[in-house]
Amino acid sequence: MSYSCTSTGNSQDPSSSKSGGVNPDSCNSSNSSSRSSGDIDHSTNSHSIRGGKPNSNPNSAEAMKVKKGCNTTDVGVPVTTEEELLANTIITPEDVLGLQKITENYLCGPEDNVYNIDFTRFKIRDMETGTVLFEITKPPATDKGGEKRDIDPNAGRFVRYQFTPAFLRLRQVGATVEFTVGDIPINNFRMIERHYFRDQLLKSFDFEFGFCIPSSKNTCEHIYEFPPLSEEIMREMILHPYETQSDSFYFVDNKLVMHNKADYSYSGGP
Amino acid sequence: MGLLTILKKLKHKEREMRLLMLGLDNAGKTTILKKFNGEDVSTISPTLGFNIKTLEHRGFKLNIWDVGGQKSLRSYWRNYFESTDGLVWVVDSADRLRLEDCRKELGALLLEERLAGATLLVFANKQDLPGALSKDAIREALTLDEIKTHHWCIVGCSAVTGENLLTGVDWLLDDIAARIFTAD
Repeated sequence: MSYSCTSTGNSQDPSSSKSGGVNPDSCNSSNSSSRSSGDIDHSTNSHSIRGGKPNSNPNSAEAMKVKKGCNTTDVGVPVTTEEELLANTIITPEDVLGLQKITENYLCGPEDNVYNIDFTRFKIRDMETGTVLFEITKPPATDKGGEKRDIDPNAGRFVRYQFTPAFLRLRQVGATVEFTVGDIPINNFRMIERHYFRDQLLKSFDFEFGFCIPSSKNTCEHIYEFPPLSEEIMREMILHPYETQSDSFYFVDNKLVMHNKADYSYSGGP
Repeated sequence: MGLLTILKKLKHKEREMRLLMLGLDNAGKTTILKKFNGEDVSTISPTLGFNIKTLEHRGFKLNIWDVGGQKSLRSYWRNYFESTDGLVWVVDSADRLRLEDCRKELGALLLEERLAGATLLVFANKQDLPGALSKDAIREALTLDEIKTHHWCIVGCSAVTGENLLTGVDWLLDDIAARIFTAD
C-alpha cells in the first residue's frame, strides 16, 4: 500500500485562515534555572521527522558519483542502482535514497517482514473541502492455513490507484496510513517513499515513526501542500497512466524489512 | 557564537516542533487531534498505539503525537519523550473520580529528564459536559501552581465543539517559538 504524496510546500501557511490565538489568562511563563539545560536538550539534532532534511552520509566523500537530486534529502547521497542493492544482504535507508529510478523488482521478500507490520487502511482527504477522496481498508491478516498455496506471495505489496485529472489540481491533502505491528516491540521504524514520473523523481518522502508498541494499531496522517507541477508534466501524467509510480521502503533499525509498490493513473478511468 | 545559538539556528531554519499529547484514557486526545485538523469526530475508538499528524500551522511544521492512555500503554509513553518541544496534557474535566490518578501521572511526567525542556499545555477538556469541573477547579486539583520547572498554561476546551483548541495550541506554539527559535 502506498500513497501519492509528492511534495510538502514549505513557504505557505496552510492555516492562515485560522484566527490568531488569544492569550489565555491561566498561564505561567516564569523562568527557572532548569530552562537552559532543557533548551539544549531539545535543540539537539535528533528529531525523528526527516522530511526534506539533508541526509548526511559519512561515505559520501568517497563516492564517485553524488546525486544532485531535486530534493534536498538526496543531495550528497551516493548514487546506487537496483542491481547493486539486490546483491546486498542488508539494504539501508542511505542505499535507497541513492536510487535514481523506480525499481523493477522488490528489494526484499515478504518473509523479511519479521515484525509482522501490516498496512490496514489508507485514506486521502482534500483539506479544503474535507471530502474523503479515497479510502481503502484491509481486514487484519489472519493466519489461517490451508488456502495459502495458491496465493501470490507478492499480493498486497502492490496497489494501483486511479484518480481523475482534478486530483492533480488539489492544493492541500491529508494522507493517512494505518498499520498494525506484531507482538515484538519495534524500536526504530522508518519509511522512505519515492515517487517518480517516468524516470524523474517527483518526491522523496522520509519519515521516522520511531518506536511502535507491540500489538499496536497506529495511524499517521501527513497533511501537505501539493507541489507546483508544471502544466506540461501534469498533461503528460494524465496522458500516460501508470507511468507515475512509487516505491515504499520500510526499515526497522535501518534494515529494509518491507517494500511495497504503487502506480497511478490520473486519466479518470481504468 | 555559542553551541546553543548554533543549535537554535539549526532548528529555526526548519521551524519544526514536536508536540506530544498524553493523558488518561478517554480524556479526548484523539478527538482533539482530529477536531483540530478538521476531521470527523463522531466515530473515535480507543487508541491502541499512536496517532501522528504532521502539518503546517502558522509557518511551523508541527509533528503531533497522540499516544494511547490506557493503563497498559502508559509504560510505553517514555518511548516518545525524545525531542519533545511541547507536552499537551489532556484532562477529562468530568471524570472527577480519576483526577488524583491524573495528577499523579502528570507529576511523574514532569520529573522526566527528557521532557525537562518541554512547554506544558493542559487542556481541561469536555467543558461542554454539564458535570465538568471548571478550568480553575482542574488547575487546583492537579496542583498546577506548584509547577516551577516548566512553562505551563491551562485552557478549558471542548474537543467536540472545538472551543478553545486553537487558543491553546497557539499559546503553546508562541511559548515554544520564543524559547527555541532565535529572533532574527
